[in-house]
Amino acid sequence: MFSDPWGFFILNPFTNVLLLIYNHVGLNFGLAVILFTILIRAITWPLTGQQLKGAKVMQELQSDKEWLDIQKKYAKDREKLAQEQMRIYQERGINPLASCLPTLIQFPIIIGLYQSVTRALAATPLTLLQLARSIYPFMNASAIIPLNSHFLWMDLGRPEGLPFPAGLAISFLPYGFPTLAIIVALTTYLQTKLTLPPSSNPNDQAAAMNSMMTIYMPLFLGWLVLNYASGLAVYFVTSNVLGIVQYGMMGRVNWRNLLPGGSKPAPSNVKKNK
Amino acid sequence: MKRLTLISFALLGAILLSACSSNATRGTSWPGLAADANNAYLANGQFIYAARLSDGAKLWQYPDKAGSQQFFATPLLTPDGQLVVGSAGTDQGLYSLNPATGQEKWTFASAKDRWIAAPLAINDILYAPNNDGSLYALKLATGQLLWSLSIGHPLWGAPVTDGKLIFLTSLDHFLYAIDPQSQKIVWKTDLGGSAAGSPVLSADQTTLYVGSFGSKIFAINAADGSTLWKANTNAWVWSDPVVNGSTIYITDINGQVYSLDASSGKNSWANITPDGPITGSPLLTTDGVIVTTESGSVYSLDHNGKVLWSTALGGKIYTAPVASGNLVLVAPLGAQYLLYAVNEKDGSMLPWHFDGK
Repeated sequence: MFSDPWGFFILNPFTNVLLLIYNHVGLNFGLAVILFTILIRAITWPLTGQQLKGAKVMQELQSDKEWLDIQKKYAKDREKLAQEQMRIYQERGINPLASCLPTLIQFPIIIGLYQSVTRALAATPLTLLQLARSIYPFMNASAIIPLNSHFLWMDLGRPEGLPFPAGLAISFLPYGFPTLAIIVALTTYLQTKLTLPPSSNPNDQAAAMNSMMTIYMPLFLGWLVLNYASGLAVYFVTSNVLGIVQYGMMGRVNWRNLLPGGSKPAPSNVKKNK
Repeated sequence: MKRLTLISFALLGAILLSACSSNATRGTSWPGLAADANNAYLANGQFIYAARLSDGAKLWQYPDKAGSQQFFATPLLTPDGQLVVGSAGTDQGLYSLNPATGQEKWTFASAKDRWIAAPLAINDILYAPNNDGSLYALKLATGQLLWSLSIGHPLWGAPVTDGKLIFLTSLDHFLYAIDPQSQKIVWKTDLGGSAAGSPVLSADQTTLYVGSFGSKIFAINAADGSTLWKANTNAWVWSDPVVNGSTIYITDINGQVYSLDASSGKNSWANITPDGPITGSPLLTTDGVIVTTESGSVYSLDHNGKVLWSTALGGKIYTAPVASGNLVLVAPLGAQYLLYAVNEKDGSMLPWHFDGK
């Protein structure tokens, strides 16, 4: 327990829940990954909601007149600027960490989910040995292993690819046409783009970074899926789709972001909570 | 309240930090080791190394620069003088090298998955089990595919033969007997769990001994696959058994060593447990057996289970020790060096260590 708190508190419980689901859905690992991702998303739903609410308040503050005024007025006096910002936070009952704390709590959960999928696939001798040690005694590990890793057209333990027509081979795509990598890149792009907060400030560094993320994140995840077990791709796709659904249900999906130049600032409506 | 929040976040931070050092994020290598009278051949990470046993000098490495290869399998020294080893990397290649120079002779890259098991050479044919669940028969001289037989789940154990049939374990819980002439499965026997190790034949080649993840060891009639006896172990059996006359030595991943009667399966050793889990097969010596533990130690046990000597090398040892003359070669993972040589009689380490450079 104390030598590996991560394994004890996060990874082992996650792996066992995933395997428990696998056992109850007809030994279908793909379905187990989808249901497990939905379960984790449901558990972290309130945190995501809190995070979005906090982010919205901070976003609206960025275009508030009083906020913009103190930025200009105390541009050269950082100490005074900080004092004024704190005053506004206190006056309006805003917690500047409200959007970041839920993210921090979700972070280990997301890493644990990702690692438990990788561990359960146990594609190498060392990962199989680690899996054997992770499984709780009541689960009867020897009966579960090896996992049935076939799902739809995929072997979830290997990178995905549909076979090229006979005679056609592309050296950098050794596993065939990467359908799932494209789906992952597309859903990641959609999720990032649709949930991008609008910015009124052309010099807003956060907005610039978000804009870069819409390009690099899909490419990065697509590259991961090209080279790693397709079980992870099933997790990425499920997670992206659920993310869009969740943002949509909270009214935070900005469809205009999909149009060229469609990102417009939201009107300022931060109320003073005096 | 503030204090509670601070404590909660300190705990969360500690758990997050431990994620970085957790087993889940460590490397996945699993060295393979073979040796002849003069040299050791080590498959480790992205390279195959040849090391001279007299002084630990590196003779060659394959490939020259790291590529897509990743080696887990034990290299095979074939009777016609090749070194054959499969890659678990994305290349999915089975390579034949010249053991003197490391020069590539042929490559077979038509399997659908990675290679984790060592192959078996019988006369001029190489039988290579793959993670794609197929046994591939190749022309030993050229690597040309002769035929393949789809068995099912991943094949991680090296095949053995009695000269007529090929015996092969699978992660699908079965031990298979395959007739290489007809290219068909003659019989299969349920082992109650996956098997990652190889079976071993009795001296008269009539009985097979094999362990499984079902925490059992089986004695199986090689002619028809019927179970002669089965004995319980305390945990999964990953290693191959070794036969010494009427005694079978076997280990489990909880770290217990068993000495079983070959005719009944009765264990004659009570609770012999060196200092850690054991995945590598025991090595038979004139004094008894040598076992290596995940805790990074080498133990020599006599035929009564008494510890003759032990040597701590560090790192984690998953690979079976290999003998060359009176030396015992050990390839730990994550230790200071890649390869160590100790004297079989007293466990003293040779003055050289091989680091692959």
